[in-house]
Amino acid sequence: MNPELDQYREECRAWLNENARHCLLQDGMTLDEEIALARKWQALKADAGYAAITLPCEYGGAGKSELHKIVFSEEEMQHRVPRQYFIISLSNALPTFLHYGQSNELKCELGPKAVRGEQLWCQMFSEPGAGSDLAAVRTKAEKDGDDWIINGQKLWTSWAQIADWGVILTRTDPTVPKHKGLSYFFVNMKSPGIEVRTLKRFTGDQDLNEVFFNDVRIPDSQRLGEVNGGFMVAIHTLMMERYAVSSVNAPLDEIIELAKNTKVGGEPAIHDSAIRETIADTFIEQQGLRNIHRRAVQAISDGGSPGPEGAIRKLLMGESLLRAGKLAMDLLGAEGLRAGSYNRFAKSWLNAPVLRIAGGTDEVLKNTVAERILGLPQEMRPDKGKAFNELP
Amino acid sequence: MQSSAQTADEAIAREIERVIASEVDEPRLKALLESPASFDLPLWKLAVEQGWPGLSLPTDIGGLGLGWRDLAEVAQVLGHATVSLPLIQATVVARVLMAADNAQALRPHADTLASGNAIVSVALMEPGDAGLAPVPNLTLKGDTLTGAIASAPFANVAQLALVRAQRNGKAVLALVELNEAVTRHTAALIDNARAAASLEFTEAPALVVEGASALGDVLALSALMTAFEQIGGAAACLELAKSYAMEHKAFGQPIGAFQAIKHKMADIYTAIEIARGCALEALQELEQGSLSLEATAAARISASRAYDFAAQEAIQTHGGMGITWEGFLHHHYRRARSLALELGSTAYWRNLLIDQLVAGAKV
Repeated sequence: MNPELDQYREECRAWLNENARHCLLQDGMTLDEEIALARKWQALKADAGYAAITLPCEYGGAGKSELHKIVFSEEEMQHRVPRQYFIISLSNALPTFLHYGQSNELKCELGPKAVRGEQLWCQMFSEPGAGSDLAAVRTKAEKDGDDWIINGQKLWTSWAQIADWGVILTRTDPTVPKHKGLSYFFVNMKSPGIEVRTLKRFTGDQDLNEVFFNDVRIPDSQRLGEVNGGFMVAIHTLMMERYAVSSVNAPLDEIIELAKNTKVGGEPAIHDSAIRETIADTFIEQQGLRNIHRRAVQAISDGGSPGPEGAIRKLLMGESLLRAGKLAMDLLGAEGLRAGSYNRFAKSWLNAPVLRIAGGTDEVLKNTVAERILGLPQEMRPDKGKAFNELP
Repeated sequence: MQSSAQTADEAIAREIERVIASEVDEPRLKALLESPASFDLPLWKLAVEQGWPGLSLPTDIGGLGLGWRDLAEVAQVLGHATVSLPLIQATVVARVLMAADNAQALRPHADTLASGNAIVSVALMEPGDAGLAPVPNLTLKGDTLTGAIASAPFANVAQLALVRAQRNGKAVLALVELNEAVTRHTAALIDNARAAASLEFTEAPALVVEGASALGDVLALSALMTAFEQIGGAAACLELAKSYAMEHKAFGQPIGAFQAIKHKMADIYTAIEIARGCALEALQELEQGSLSLEATAAARISASRAYDFAAQEAIQTHGGMGITWEGFLHHHYRRARSLALELGSTAYWRNLLIDQLVAGAKV
């Protein structure tokens, strides 16, 4: 496709083959052990220029293109290294701080620390009453001299319990329509008045948190973007990564092997037409998405933008994992109920609902496809044009 | 295709689109649906004049020398307009004839297809099977064919048919002239605009298309190019549904503002984009000279599903307006079924796909 990029891929591959084996996830690791391993992996990558490929060099990045990042991600996915801990930190929160931050000195200090995994940034957007409807946040920031005082509650914050810094969307003016009264800040997560309570997902994972703000005082220099201009900054954060390489695909080859080697009432499972149909559907979906990915990379490589069809990737991922996980469990029969890491199918089935909610629910994503891509009108909205504090 | 700059495929397809739009209107398409085995002969004559049959055939047989990607783009135009012209058939058959071991003997037929002087029907399906049986019933004895073929598109107007027959217990591909040794039977079909007929052969002289890959190639190339035709049709359904949803109002707002309609549109869009992805993936393999069965099957199955789904849900979006003869949606609803069945139904293709995946060739 592009000789320079092919060369880069070769370098990534060689480096990963040499280094990934020092940082492989093991079954039965505790959260602390995994996080320690993730920090070690991050530092290794930082030394080699793979930790924050698209960030400018002065902040600890490698100053390379989006395509380089895609290539490295594709290769990194082939290894069982810890990948999830620093994604939001480095792809969303930190770049927003670096883009809008007022002090270059601070950016040069904090950037490299985050890139190396010495520090972690979290993103505090959602609240009990503001998820899909992000502009409905209630956590308020009130001006007090040159400072702001924050009070309220955030929810679903990934890795807040180990975060050093966080970006936060707050309400600064409740007397105007909801999108227009928000401001965006970064805060030290160790500030007095911040309390983090970790939630346990039904999979057992403990990445999500509630974060309570009780008279947390921060200087105005920690504001990112204009006063009451925070919603645009939040959109920027969410759009920061134009093209994320998806890391979760149903393991189709393993499922086919399973179907070849298991029986349903004495008959080979692979002869069952419903099972064949599910395998075919999964293959077709992956095949279509493979091409959509290929075209997106080509478009970026040609200096253009990926087509809008990329929006369906996330929409299909959750459903696909759910379907494939269930199929594999069905193939295993009663044994398919076994929990734990040796039954990755059950694990992927347990995880599937998260993928259909986090980062945009299926329903919201379908609205987005219909409105942004197809141009259908928005639903009648009772909150439109009304001041936030006059909403029912 | 979307990401690439305007290429030859775009230019010729846009020209064909323009000609079709100026020539073909809805009453003309409706008239074709009225009586069995209809064919738009004036449009075909125009197509021949303009050299469309040979556009993706080599110049040395009188073609325009364009590639598969160009034909794929044209197929989308045909599908979008629900126009039935035997362009895919001409291209696929001429190419397979030229690649045959006995290409020399078949060459005159390839020439007539490239010029449009003959129409060929790809007539592979037999009565009583929704796919292709390992050994067909149609039998080749010596140089003559005896037996019957299921309804095939363009068979009522074709001078040639490409059929599957058994020779010494093995399936082969045979080219047969549709002369007095062949009886055409037409019947009312749900989509009368396909010029379809079933064929009965009584010791009809035939030429075998020799070569190990000939049979597989005809099926795969026809299926892949038809997938693009299906995608074009599905895209048209989505456009129709979308504009209706934006203009038709209920309960004080356009129905397109309701999530029930939006989600339906998003589902259609998703089905189309998956089909497009599968078809482009297969097209890329074809251009690299390595079209696999699983890529072909994925394109075929996903395109059949997308078109069926888009047509049926576009009708629902239109409510009562969707079910009238005057409305246009039934053209797509009918055509979606024609294209899904003429080359073997989804159940058949799914079996091909799964058998290939199980054999472990590629996942």
